[in-house]
Amino acid sequence: MELFDNLLLGLSTALQLNNLVYCLIGVVIGTAIGVLPGIGPIPTVALLLPFTFGLEPASSLIMLAGIFYGAQYGGSTTAILVNVPGETSSVVTCLDGHEMAKQGRAGPALAIAAISSFFAGTVATVVIAVLSLPLAALALKFTAVEYFSLLVLGLFAAVILAHGSVAKSLAMVLLGLMIGTVGIDVNSGVARMTFGVPALADGLDFVPVAMGLFGLAEIMANLERPETRQVVSQKLRDLVPSWADLKAAFPAMLRGTFIGSALGVLPGGGAALPPFTAYAVEKKLARDPSRFGKGAIEGVAGPEAANNAGAQTSFIPLLTLGIPANALMALMIGALMMQGIQPGPQVMTEQPQLVWGVIASMWTGNLMLLIINLPLVGVWVSMLKIPYRLLFPAIVLFCCIGTYGISNSVFNVWLMLGCALVGYFFIKVGVEPAPLLLGLVLGPQLEENFRRAMQLSDGDPSVFVTRPISALLLGIVVLLLAALLSPAVLRKRKQALSE
Amino acid sequence: MTQRRIDWPDLLFGLFLICVAAGAFAATARLSGGTAADMGPGYMPRAIAFGLLGFGLFFAGRGLVRPFAGIAQVQARPILGIAASVAVFALLVEDAGLALAAFAAIVIAALASRESRLVEVLLFGIAVSAGAVLLFVKALALPVPIWPW
Amino acid sequence: MTLRLFKAAVAALALGAAFAAPASSQTFDRPVRIVVPFAPGGTSDILARLIAPKLQEAVGQPVVVENKPGAAGNIGADTVAKAKPDGHTLLLMDIGSLAVAPSLFPDLSYNVENDLAPVGMVMFGPYVLAVNPSVPAKSVAELVAYAKANPGKLAVANSGVGALNHITAVALARNLGIEWKNVPYKGGSAASRAVVSGESTVIINGVTATLPFVTSGQLVGIAVTGDKRLPALPNVETFKEAKLPLDDAGTWQALLTSGKTPPEVVAKLNAELQKILAMPEIQEKIAEQGGMVRPGTADAVKTWLSTNTKAWGEIIRAADIKVN
Repeated sequence: MELFDNLLLGLSTALQLNNLVYCLIGVVIGTAIGVLPGIGPIPTVALLLPFTFGLEPASSLIMLAGIFYGAQYGGSTTAILVNVPGETSSVVTCLDGHEMAKQGRAGPALAIAAISSFFAGTVATVVIAVLSLPLAALALKFTAVEYFSLLVLGLFAAVILAHGSVAKSLAMVLLGLMIGTVGIDVNSGVARMTFGVPALADGLDFVPVAMGLFGLAEIMANLERPETRQVVSQKLRDLVPSWADLKAAFPAMLRGTFIGSALGVLPGGGAALPPFTAYAVEKKLARDPSRFGKGAIEGVAGPEAANNAGAQTSFIPLLTLGIPANALMALMIGALMMQGIQPGPQVMTEQPQLVWGVIASMWTGNLMLLIINLPLVGVWVSMLKIPYRLLFPAIVLFCCIGTYGISNSVFNVWLMLGCALVGYFFIKVGVEPAPLLLGLVLGPQLEENFRRAMQLSDGDPSVFVTRPISALLLGIVVLLLAALLSPAVLRKRKQALSE
Repeated sequence: MTQRRIDWPDLLFGLFLICVAAGAFAATARLSGGTAADMGPGYMPRAIAFGLLGFGLFFAGRGLVRPFAGIAQVQARPILGIAASVAVFALLVEDAGLALAAFAAIVIAALASRESRLVEVLLFGIAVSAGAVLLFVKALALPVPIWPW
Repeated sequence: MTLRLFKAAVAALALGAAFAAPASSQTFDRPVRIVVPFAPGGTSDILARLIAPKLQEAVGQPVVVENKPGAAGNIGADTVAKAKPDGHTLLLMDIGSLAVAPSLFPDLSYNVENDLAPVGMVMFGPYVLAVNPSVPAKSVAELVAYAKANPGKLAVANSGVGALNHITAVALARNLGIEWKNVPYKGGSAASRAVVSGESTVIINGVTATLPFVTSGQLVGIAVTGDKRLPALPNVETFKEAKLPLDDAGTWQALLTSGKTPPEVVAKLNAELQKILAMPEIQEKIAEQGGMVRPGTADAVKTWLSTNTKAWGEIIRAADIKVN
């Protein structure tokens, strides 16, 4: 069987000693930068790029890929422990992961995150091996019309996501869409609401907004109530997830992996959609949705699996079509070209040991990550033994350095400060900031794709229902909406919220 | 005063949304709107602003008629401490270097908590700043100066 | 065990970043930074990271690459324009962006001519004009005929309003008397993706990003800019052969520094740049980027800038392209 041969070829490349070492270096660096809030994989890969010139193409790509998915692992650690989402993808992990940590269950949360990521990584490796060609073809079918419909679906998922009132989460999505329009309008090139500040021309960076709303605002609120946060630094005995935890988490892992694998292939939506969608699905399927946001283990397992699966399947367009799905994949293309390899569909046939080697290395890398991370859970949790009075200034500092480092801009630090104050306000009036972040990430794409679709169809809105994929996606939105508004669901929601 | 009214969280959130909507209307007044089929740059922000305005009025109105709900007391010290810490970092980092900016950020942030102890904070600040310089400037090559000179 | 792994990782990082710098030159007494006004991964970024280690050896000081993306390169350019004029702050970018900036942004925060001093050209990367295979055209003549027969049907993807490939597409249409839609995308790779998928149908973009799609048959090459055909695409005619205007449009990457930098410092930097560009390994890497090394004087860059600022400015005004 050809697939089998390909995987064997890949494994024989990935298991060479030097490639194993580069893979290990990659995932360890990735974990480290993931744990440090704000230092994303993109600047790290850029920094390491020149040092990969001397390596074999396969080794360099294996190491750089390791940094990428290693960072996804590490990012969830800070999200769970200190409520600082270092990456877009770990925002959702904050919701229930940090809640679990507050209840003294940081250990199980971290372990489940690692196990889910490993599981998803393993499955995604197989998905890439089996489905890369058909999936890449599907991704190419996505034009502006389909993207718009997909984004509408994603935003509706966000409404289900919040554990407050539907009205408040809708308002927060709108708020996110609003600040998402800041910057130069892609379709007309006109600057909107930039108030003459050049740093706003490309819109608001996601990381300072997330760090301000989640990390710093949380610290401000925490310092007001000394009794609640002490819970975080106590009860560290049970580090290992119980059998019941695993049983609860497993179906969520499966679903998350599926969602992540499918959405990761699509360029653009990338990092934000898979975990948010997985969380929404888990909450929808749960017998008792009210547990979400209060430390539900499925709320960690599903998004973490989705996030890792998505990170890996986002390599599919790169490896099969030479098309980068996100900024990091664009860097990988840079790395390939520096090695004298023109990325494109021909790479698959001309350099099979490179492509399959990288794919197989994802599995070995995920295994390494699990082995590194499971024992580290104890180390991370013991970090919480540091008294909060010392921990929080350090978090503040790392947030500052991290936001600065994204594009070496002081403006981002000020932006984070502003968002911290707004986030504190949100905590005081009891609204959940997660839907805002989704609106911020997806809003600009929503508008861009809608307007592009209209431009290309000469202003004919019927394209959204005449193209099959788009019609299907919008159909799901209608179903969701009907389900959400049906009396039975409304009653159940009311019950859940009245607690 | 038999029954107290006003749900403060709702009212304040509503007013906040109204302010954002008003700000957005003001900031996009100059942009051309266009139609839904051929949107100008101002169409989307204004459409969203209308939505925000609607929600704002809804929450504010609901807040006024709902039974009383208070807001947990706001303490100035944590807010001012954290805000000052971030602000000082932003002001110092590019000119005075990371070492001083990091140290100042740690010490000022510590002021936000009543539990901080002076000597401990100073020592911790020195240690973390040194670590940050080594990690970010030396190892990760963050392009900032270490010292002001 | 785990701690050791972490130490190993940090050591690996530190190894790369520990700049051993023997003091050899008086001109350069502190670290030099090359500002790249775009996100990592683009041509400018790769070039800067290619040149940095060589420059470091030459000036005897650490040379770091700093990405300052934002506002079409203007944030990074502004940083260099306002930096201390002692040659320690360099700018590496596509100077086409500098040539169009004054026309596109009337309230630009710096003056391209006075606040930036060219050091030297680095490379030229030609544009490839290509179409989705669904377009029934294999040559410039066929494409023009098709466009004339179907006005408004072709959609040219560009990397953003006011980007050079946008302005090139506008100028081509005016010159050829054809009508096509200009569809803006967020950057060149999103634009290429859209033309490969058939969402848009025509692309004019750098050879680096476009060539693989043409060689693999996902796009059909129509014409290339530059003085000769590309070795990889011997059957694709040049703009000049097809009598198209703008035959030298493309990516012009150059090194610049702050405007008031003393001429002798600029001269020293230019001399070092020439030595670096003469290195076979650098030429090889630049060729892999689809570009050609362009050694030359600082004045050549200055001339290029003033000629093109004027030429592009006329096109921008005539076509009324606005980016606020």
